[in-house]
Amino acid sequence: MTGVACGVVSASEVTFRAEHLKIKLEQLAAVVLARSPLGALVRWVAGIRASLHTKLMSAFLVVTLLFIAMAVVNVRTVLETAQHSRQLDQAHQRVAWSQQIEQALARQMHFSVLALLSQDEAAIGKILRENNRFNETLAKLDAAGLPEQHGLVEQVRVSQDEAMSVVADMANAIRDRNIGNVTRDLLAQQERLDSEIAGPVAKLVDTEQKRMASLRDSIAGANRESLITTAGFSVAAVALAWLCGFVISWSFIVPVREAQGFLTGVASGDFSQRIDVRNGDEFGALARSMNHMSAELARLDRIQRDAADELGRLNTRLEQASRAKSEFLANMSHELRTPLNAILGFSEMMVDGLYGDLTEELKEPLNDVQANGKHLLRLINEVLDLSKIEAGRMELALREYSVAEMVASVRGSLRSLAAEKGLAFETEVPDDLPPARGDSGRLTQCLMNLAGNALKFTRSGGVAIGVVLRGDDLVYRVSDTGIGIPPEELQNVFAEFRQVDATVTRQFGGTGLGLSISKKFIEMHGGRIWVESKIGEGSTFYFTVPLRVGETTA
Amino acid sequence: MNQRTILYIEDNEYNRKIVRQLLGRTPYRLIEAVDGEAGVAQAIETLPDLILMDVQLPKMSGLDATRVLCNDERTKQIPIVVITSFALSGDRERATEAGAVGYLAKPYSPRELLALVRQFLPE
Repeated sequence: MTGVACGVVSASEVTFRAEHLKIKLEQLAAVVLARSPLGALVRWVAGIRASLHTKLMSAFLVVTLLFIAMAVVNVRTVLETAQHSRQLDQAHQRVAWSQQIEQALARQMHFSVLALLSQDEAAIGKILRENNRFNETLAKLDAAGLPEQHGLVEQVRVSQDEAMSVVADMANAIRDRNIGNVTRDLLAQQERLDSEIAGPVAKLVDTEQKRMASLRDSIAGANRESLITTAGFSVAAVALAWLCGFVISWSFIVPVREAQGFLTGVASGDFSQRIDVRNGDEFGALARSMNHMSAELARLDRIQRDAADELGRLNTRLEQASRAKSEFLANMSHELRTPLNAILGFSEMMVDGLYGDLTEELKEPLNDVQANGKHLLRLINEVLDLSKIEAGRMELALREYSVAEMVASVRGSLRSLAAEKGLAFETEVPDDLPPARGDSGRLTQCLMNLAGNALKFTRSGGVAIGVVLRGDDLVYRVSDTGIGIPPEELQNVFAEFRQVDATVTRQFGGTGLGLSISKKFIEMHGGRIWVESKIGEGSTFYFTVPLRVGETTA
Repeated sequence: MNQRTILYIEDNEYNRKIVRQLLGRTPYRLIEAVDGEAGVAQAIETLPDLILMDVQLPKMSGLDATRVLCNDERTKQIPIVVITSFALSGDRERATEAGAVGYLAKPYSPRELLALVRQFLPE
């Protein structure tokens, strides 16, 4: 456990440190932008009227051009070095030839002495052979030599030609056997010429060697120079790449951050702000679009708010109107009931003989007055109930009640009506139902309404009321064998002022409010009501209410 | 046997007439008031044996008048029956709360009213 915990801690620490470092770097970048000319540079780059693509490609192009320039300088250095090397090789060759000339001269000298001593003509041939080799080499040297060396070569050649005429004299002397007289003279001439030739040749060698040394120096110099140039270009290219990267990336980052802050504001519903991005690229266009969007959103928001306010005002007015209507209905019902009280009261006292005994002829119309007055009272009560429900002033009076007693009272009230029509009227309530809680007056009203309707719309057969307890709910059922309800009307039976058709109202009476009021009472109890019906076979109304209303069931 | 007095506080002329004629044949003596304030004054002055109080009254509502009488030392032992013209749920509770001992919903049947009176004041 401890190990795992430690691992978690160190991982979060690493994350923390990384975050910390990131924040520090960002702060550093911000300081650099604010305090150095880089900030101005970033703003200038941002303001350039060119696309992001162009800006990035231009930066890459500049860096690339630096590298190309570096490559050109390097190639030039390599070519120069190669030329110097070639010149060095040629100088080497010339030195070698000069040395061969020196050797040939030495051998020529040697063979001359030999020829004079041995007085042999064959030695003369050897001298001539050496002379030929000397001349060949001298010709090569002259061809490859530099212009300033030409004088030296010519000097050598003149001396050599003189030396050859001496050799010819030697050969004549040997043939004429006249050696003794000329030997010393010839040898002396030969030695003079030899030294005359050796001097320039040595000079030739010397100049070539000096030249080689200078070439070597120049190659080394070129190499050094190339190294410095390459290093310089590399450093400049890297620095420029970094600078371009920094400046261009911040010219993007700044507007992106602005946009982020702006969009966060917009997302939280602040449409009043504007974004200030002066980029000449796509970010500038984006910022202008965002400002446009914000203005448009602000406008729509204002319109929507105005509409909502208007709707609110309308709604308040409608509510006031609706409440006024309901209050008017409630007051109207009250005003209607006051004279009705007098009508019912006086007629009842007349029926009861308070004003003297009644004749049979008067009894019947007085009873009719009573019956119609009571019917009118029921209608007024229903209108009053509905207006109170709609005004939100209907409250349930919750108390304990017995389901069996409630059903029995409904049966008691309607039994005579069922008997009059010759209908069966049965009730079925389980013996073991626990005490219920609810507005028994309103529930009685519902049950009375359903059973009364059932009796009203049934000509033969019967009506039955049943109750079962299902879970925490009481399920009431009122079934009849009446005329039934067409399927298309099933949805409407609970709507206000609805009966299956208007003729039914005239034939059977009623306001058409009973079912609508019952539905509202049942819903106020937290229950629901529904109906199943078949034309010609009858209807069954069901409603459920919690057994204990207003108490939380465990 | 001294005559029992009943005070009926009601603003409607015809309703007063019904009760007047209903009780005319009984040994009860009826006195009447037409608004809440007059009713309270009348009750304190005559100290009746039973008060029938309509709820909707001018000047002072029946429930307020009931409260006043029930809190008054002189009248608090007089039984008050409240008669309401709104068959509102909770009217009975409000009437009981105000101090009424009986409750009758309008439109009442004269038979019921007489039965209620006899319940409180046996003849």
